[in-house]
Amino acid sequence: MAQERPSLSRLAAAALALLLGGCSLLGTPQTAPATARGTASAPVAEPLPAAQAATAAPPAGPEPRAPAAPVVHSWRLGAATQSLVTQARAQLANGEAVAASITLDRAVRIEPGNPLVWIELARQRLAAGEPRQAEGIARKALSLASGDPAARAEAQHALGEALRAQGRNGEARAAEAPAAP
Amino acid sequence: MAARRARLRRLLTALGGGLLLVVVAIAAWVAYLDGVVKREFEGRRWSVPARVYAEPLELYAGAAITPDDLEQELERLHYRAGDPAAGPGLYRRRGGSFELHARRVRFVDELRPAMRVVVRAGASGIAGIATPASVEVPLFRLDPLVIGNISPVHGEDRLVLAPDEVPPLLRAALKAVEDKRFDAHHGIDPHALLRALWANLRARRIAQGGSTITQQLVKNFFLTEEQTLSRKLTEAVMALRLEARFGKEEILVAYVNEVYLGQQGERAIHGFGLGSEFYFGKPLAELDVGELALLIGLVKGPSYYEPRKHPERARARRDVVLGQLAEAGLITPAAARAAAAGPLRLAAPGGAYVPAFLDLVRRHLKRDYAEADLAAAGLGVYTTLDPRAQAAAERALTRQLRRLDAGQPAGRGALLQGAVVVAEPHGGGVLAVVGGRDLGFDGFNRALDARRPIGSLVKPAVYLAALASGRYHAASLIEDAPLELRLGDGSTWAPQNYTHETYGTVPLVRALAESMNLATVRLGLDVGVPRVVDTLVQLGVERRPAANPSVLLGAVELAPLEVVAVYASLANGGFKARLRAVRAVLDDAGKPLRSFPVQVEPAAAPAAVYALDRMLTQVIARGTGRGAAARLPAGFVAPAKTGTSSDTRDSWFAGFTGSHLAVAWVGYDDNRVTGLTGAGGAMPVWAEVMAALRAAPWEPPPPDGVEQRWIDYQTGAESDAACASSAVALALPPATILPPARAGCGTASAPAAGIAELVKSWLKNVLR
Repeated sequence: MAQERPSLSRLAAAALALLLGGCSLLGTPQTAPATARGTASAPVAEPLPAAQAATAAPPAGPEPRAPAAPVVHSWRLGAATQSLVTQARAQLANGEAVAASITLDRAVRIEPGNPLVWIELARQRLAAGEPRQAEGIARKALSLASGDPAARAEAQHALGEALRAQGRNGEARAAEAPAAP
Repeated sequence: MAARRARLRRLLTALGGGLLLVVVAIAAWVAYLDGVVKREFEGRRWSVPARVYAEPLELYAGAAITPDDLEQELERLHYRAGDPAAGPGLYRRRGGSFELHARRVRFVDELRPAMRVVVRAGASGIAGIATPASVEVPLFRLDPLVIGNISPVHGEDRLVLAPDEVPPLLRAALKAVEDKRFDAHHGIDPHALLRALWANLRARRIAQGGSTITQQLVKNFFLTEEQTLSRKLTEAVMALRLEARFGKEEILVAYVNEVYLGQQGERAIHGFGLGSEFYFGKPLAELDVGELALLIGLVKGPSYYEPRKHPERARARRDVVLGQLAEAGLITPAAARAAAAGPLRLAAPGGAYVPAFLDLVRRHLKRDYAEADLAAAGLGVYTTLDPRAQAAAERALTRQLRRLDAGQPAGRGALLQGAVVVAEPHGGGVLAVVGGRDLGFDGFNRALDARRPIGSLVKPAVYLAALASGRYHAASLIEDAPLELRLGDGSTWAPQNYTHETYGTVPLVRALAESMNLATVRLGLDVGVPRVVDTLVQLGVERRPAANPSVLLGAVELAPLEVVAVYASLANGGFKARLRAVRAVLDDAGKPLRSFPVQVEPAAAPAAVYALDRMLTQVIARGTGRGAAARLPAGFVAPAKTGTSSDTRDSWFAGFTGSHLAVAWVGYDDNRVTGLTGAGGAMPVWAEVMAALRAAPWEPPPPDGVEQRWIDYQTGAESDAACASSAVALALPPATILPPARAGCGTASAPAAGIAELVKSWLKNVLR
């Protein structure tokens, strides 16, 4: 039951992101509307103007395109991974922790860079009584979620639970503290 | 008279006693055989070696799979073009749209019944999947390719069929060809025996068997091959007892699973299920009449009629069987003639033979399973092998080695060797392993066992240690100048750059991208060799190297798979994912026995790893890996590194995209000089693999604690995105103070070049 509430809130967040962000192909971080950029809670520093970066793409030779500017992202799951996450939750609710782990393994394979997949995996490990595994996975989720406040909060929460399950309450509180501006 | 009668009585008594003894002995023998039959047949557990599966191809909207890719994949799985309404194993393509009747498949997590779907694909990948009733399917898997099995010593292999999986035509045809009175006799067929005896007497040799299906089963089950009278008698008695105890159905199904149908090296092909897969690459249910007739014909002599070796004999035998089937009224004479007109259509033998990967799987499983269970318990081993990555790696290595051979001095005796490992760095799955240029050779697996000095592949660990110390950032300046070092043993070490030049004051990014030895040694000594060694261990090196200064230039011996472990931590944003070749092992009923889930743990600070990775993208963009660009798609960004051991004995290249990590090694087995740098030997292999993989771009979100800045590549000064030819975008700690940008993009000759580049860039954008 403890799993239920964050899942719902995450679903709501995903739905919101979907509404706000329109649709992009899965796996691509959704660039939030320009108004969201540079808000006080944005965890990343001064972004580079995206337009400038794009036109600066060199004409020839091996020059790499300037990487996308670090703006605020709003991650969501693609339809394929969403269906796997839904399936894994049902398996978990049914007490099939191993099956849920195998299902989420498929999701990792399809969207390895999406923090939401790793957050889900961290929850599964917690439910399976593997808090150490959950910790590593939650830390990975957190590192991927740096540009997405909602995903970040979810990852922090998962990390906090993983630490608490190991009796590391002080670290858990620190992990769940809001990001420094 | 009386004496005579008494003698007669004694004789009769003796005879009677003897007869009684014989009868008792025979009864005991029959009872014994009956016991054997009952025990062995009832408790029969088919000896089924563990079957090893590749990762199934996942289809979903957005997957980078073109229509041609998809068709190729279907062909690899022996799907045939045809009307999908007719049954599983058929597909129909119209442009980019595929109507597919997928087979019933056991996946690692589910048993999926046969089902029909429509897959729409285009040049950019899969557009969507739906059922024939237009219900969207978010995710759909193709069959997992069987890549081998873990055979026991005697090599008996089979795919056990359940009674409902034996096609009715096969049952009827087996009776028609092998045993016409099967349904009527009690285990032996006197008519057939007498006919065979007569034929053999006339021919004065054993020309006909006259064995029933039951006798053949007994022979395969319990007895040896010798042709003696006593064995024949034993066989007959056992056949009678088998029939007395078990039903016709059980006997026929056992026969279908037991019968010997061929040989592949040590591996003995038993049963029609495996026979179908072995010769035609598809399930028994999908065989047409001609294919079924060939399999049935093989029962008579699998080696004599071996269709790949003796296609003419096999064809003639098939046609005889087709005639018999028509005679028995099982097919029409017209169908028999049509089938006889067709070719044999055999599948390529062992189409997915991947010994080097299977070697890794075997080592992985040996930790958890007894050899006997792997060989006989019917386990299903679901691996991470990606057949497309494996094929790409094999092709790239063989092609490039053949090309490189031409550049090697003649008359060397040995050929250049190589190894490639491809992995999915986030989940830790090993996708492909090539252990040498001889792909089918199940011998020395260089990918796992060739431990060689990694040369400059070690440098990222030096730079990571520097970044993590907080005293350096990607644009910090270091000296590339000669140095001499007095070592503990009193000797002097004076490393040199590969070019034998020195470059003066350079930013870290350039020293790394151009693999400068002197700058790297200075940096490593400043950070501390033990810290560099610590970093290597944290990233994934299992055997801790001694902290000698020579470590800074790669005097560390690793096998390609171990290099993969180290670079996976870089590709995974500073997290170490346990490498795995197996996802899960299922028992013979499909229940998971053991799974090997993704496991990640922090290995290095994400910000430092991200900053390092951004520096490593300059290897291909501007550094020692420049030459790779020609083999890669335009705009391909991948952190990578070249490595060359002393005197060019080992040529290495390692690098990754958002989805794939690949490591390639080229060298001689006897450690001879190759004359190839990392860029000259291993890099083209790597680039060809990556180009074939359609890898996702490398664009992870920057973690906390870094900020993107434009830096002048030559000087490390602040620069600008407009200075496309000299500026690089790097990740630095927030608010790092840099030398101010100089006018004209910071380099001496820059103004003109910069404008020219801008104009070209503008033109290209317009023309695009």
